[in-house]
Amino acid sequence: MKTFLLSLPIICLTLTTLAQTIISGKISDQKGSGIPGANILIKGTYDGTSSDADGNFKFETSETGKHLLVFQAMGYKPQEREIECSGLPVSFQISLSENINMLTAVTITAGAMEASDTKKAVVLKPLDIVTTSGAMGNITAALLTLPGTSTVGNDGRLFVRGGDASETSIFIDGLQVGNAYGSTAANVPTRNRFSPNLFKGSFFSTGGYSAEYGQALSSALALNTLDLPLRNQGDLSIMSLGGGYTQTLVKENNALTATANYYNLAPYQSLISQKFDWEKSPSNWDTEVSLRHKWGKAGFLKAYAHTEGSDMTIWQPVAGESGRGDRVHINNRYSYGNLSFRQSGKHDWFFYGGLAYSHNRDAINLNYVPVRQVNQLGHAKVVAVKDFSPQFSLKNGIEYYLKSYSEELVDDHLKRSITDNQLTHFIETDYYFSNRLIFRGGLRSGYSTAAKQLWLDPRISLAYKLNNQGQFSIAAGKFHQLPDEKLRVLQNNLQNAEASHYILNYFIVNNNRTFRAEAFYKTYDNLSTYNGTDLAPVNITQKGSGYARGADFFYRDKTSFKNTDFWITYSFVDSKRRYSVFETKVQPSFAPKHNGSVVIKHFVGALKSQLGTSWSWNNGYTYNDPNLAGEMQRKTRAYSDLSISWSYLPRPNIILHAACSNILGRNNVFGYKYASQPDEAGYFARIPVGQGATRMAFIGLFITFSHDKNANQLNNL
Amino acid sequence: MKKSLLTIMFIICAVITTFAQDSAYQKAMKKEIDKLDAADSLHKFQQSANGFARISQLNPNEWQPYYYNALACIYQGLDNSLDLNKKDEVLAKAEELIKKADAISPNNSEIVTLEGFKIMAEVSADPASRGQSLSGAVMSTFGKAMKMDPQNPRAALLMGQMEFGLARFFKSGTEKACGLVKQSQAIFAAQDDEALKAKLAPTWGRPLAEKSAKACQ
Repeated sequence: MKTFLLSLPIICLTLTTLAQTIISGKISDQKGSGIPGANILIKGTYDGTSSDADGNFKFETSETGKHLLVFQAMGYKPQEREIECSGLPVSFQISLSENINMLTAVTITAGAMEASDTKKAVVLKPLDIVTTSGAMGNITAALLTLPGTSTVGNDGRLFVRGGDASETSIFIDGLQVGNAYGSTAANVPTRNRFSPNLFKGSFFSTGGYSAEYGQALSSALALNTLDLPLRNQGDLSIMSLGGGYTQTLVKENNALTATANYYNLAPYQSLISQKFDWEKSPSNWDTEVSLRHKWGKAGFLKAYAHTEGSDMTIWQPVAGESGRGDRVHINNRYSYGNLSFRQSGKHDWFFYGGLAYSHNRDAINLNYVPVRQVNQLGHAKVVAVKDFSPQFSLKNGIEYYLKSYSEELVDDHLKRSITDNQLTHFIETDYYFSNRLIFRGGLRSGYSTAAKQLWLDPRISLAYKLNNQGQFSIAAGKFHQLPDEKLRVLQNNLQNAEASHYILNYFIVNNNRTFRAEAFYKTYDNLSTYNGTDLAPVNITQKGSGYARGADFFYRDKTSFKNTDFWITYSFVDSKRRYSVFETKVQPSFAPKHNGSVVIKHFVGALKSQLGTSWSWNNGYTYNDPNLAGEMQRKTRAYSDLSISWSYLPRPNIILHAACSNILGRNNVFGYKYASQPDEAGYFARIPVGQGATRMAFIGLFITFSHDKNANQLNNL
Repeated sequence: MKKSLLTIMFIICAVITTFAQDSAYQKAMKKEIDKLDAADSLHKFQQSANGFARISQLNPNEWQPYYYNALACIYQGLDNSLDLNKKDEVLAKAEELIKKADAISPNNSEIVTLEGFKIMAEVSADPASRGQSLSGAVMSTFGKAMKMDPQNPRAALLMGQMEFGLARFFKSGTEKACGLVKQSQAIFAAQDDEALKAKLAPTWGRPLAEKSAKACQ
């Protein structure tokens, strides 16, 4: 018995330490080269090892019997093999196939320009939008330094590749925004209503975009709001044009941000001489509230409300007439609300969507005749995405739009309006053939109750990544858009205009240098044409057509010069279209042929300052001279604007920012207004359409209050 | 009699081996932690990460294997022989592991510190384009970790490192940075490494604290 008990541990020992089995082999990729650092293990045990620099491995195990041997390596699909541990050495030659790696895999860059902190194929960081000199915190102005855009100085909106401003649709968290720009008088440039500080990133497409976006012939701009802010803080801004305060409160899974701003240009305009004849300088107030709730592990619920009002009165000279000209008074009230969600479900499902509503009311007083215009836009959207495998995903979405517009001659009680309901469905698939090759195909279909028209938009794109990090993308697709509401209100059943895009793109980013080149061809059909004037169209037909073709280039470099970040853009657009009142195909006034910009940011540590400059240029705007035969016969001289800015950070929570546009004082002309009747000599008199002031100077002080003394409003630079 | 003895024997053996199983986890962990402490090359950090991954697949409900696996990944992400894509790939892996650890042990100051360290590594992979946007997140994450456990020497130390960079940037005094480094040194000095190691609790950072303290003198 004693001996038996004594022998117990020995038996136990032998039970646990039977003969050792030696497992060895080599792990390689599909081309046969060894994978270093792969993990080889016996499932359900601690036994295993790592492969060496050549992919070879060898280890011993005391396990016996049948087991599963697992081979894992980062970036590859894992494999399992059954083994029999019997004390005899076993050897494996394993070839692992690549996994789709979202971080480094090819992305579709045709037409697209992304601003993101997390993605690779981006041209901008979100902060760039606010730190670009000359942009003065206006999202649109910053985007106008990107390829494919044209600066139209007397308008201020986004003009993309020969398209007019209405051909760009703007989305916040996937939901469309109506009247995203402030209401203004003709030839007085406007701004985007939304502060760049709201957004963590943006996706700006100049063509060939996803089937998720529609009712935009040229371009889509998708802005994504911030998730959870970092900390509780208050941000105070005191500017030459006004001021504002933002309070941010953050709890574990919730955040609240409330903002109020007031701007009044009167004091500034009384100090610095203006070319525009203001009776009452523009003033504007806005307030917004944003609520964010982190929903589970990956979900978010967001609510956002924005409301604002503005007021201005301006006298605009009329060609061929003496005196102050037309008196235009505009009072605007605008509200936008947006409720959005995103959440991932089980089995690789992902859902997002929401509701948005905007209401815009313009009370216009034109030469003391009151006119009232009301726009409404409602958008509801639900999207479901299913990842069937890392290679293959499918997106399915339905949308409903309510669009209405009315205009009223208040004194005469004359009112006309249009209400349109649109139902849209889109389906889109992404398929990765490998980390180098991706295909995207989509189909968008829609129906409008006002137009009584059904339309189909097929879209495809393909991207291929080369060895050297560079990649080629192509995109093609059809795009439909209903005419401007000011035309539809006259003729409710106007049909869609139609565009086709063909895009070839090359994109490379390497060591903080980015180069992008893109060639495009775009056709237009069913454009609205009419007689009369733009303000009073008659006999609307949809027989217009046209094209835009060209190429654009973008180069950005953050490394070649110390503490300096710069980008250079050149866009060539050759566009002609028959539209509006024109009887032949003409080059539109908003499509200058040659466009360029240079943006430089330089940090000077000793001065604790960032110095910035940006230069924007084009070779002139076409215009129609009624004194000459034909249409759009003439072109203004080149447009050029050199802006500078200086941001000084005396302390981490204080920023002093000063900026000035057009420092060279160039007298830019955007076109000419001609008299409607010739004078006695048979000559149509004209006046130039120019800038509101030679230069625009800005100074602002931004202070952040928080427990974290290092918090600042870098975003406001 | 013989039969029952044999049964007892098997039960005892089973008990011994299950005991061995439990301490096998401890043993395996201690061995891998020592290896990680001694690791000084990319290849060794890779081996270490694989070692912890092998432990995780057997002990998926322990946060420590994920924690150390993530730490080994972050060390790889700080290795300058890797290109930006590889660094990001390994740091994305670290993020995945930190999330797993956090799900098992929520509101753990050590795991939150590791998250901050990971973002710090992301910044240092591409400071020119990430410094401005991510530095705030790094500091607020360390701040959160310090709030959870004021006695966490790693949170104080890494926060001190960030403050150091900031002071250099603004050419201001390094008092705050050095105060944090000193604070972390004091906590390191007072801690019982053996007791912590027995609990598989993190002990790393002491050499860095010493190095940083030298820079403060």
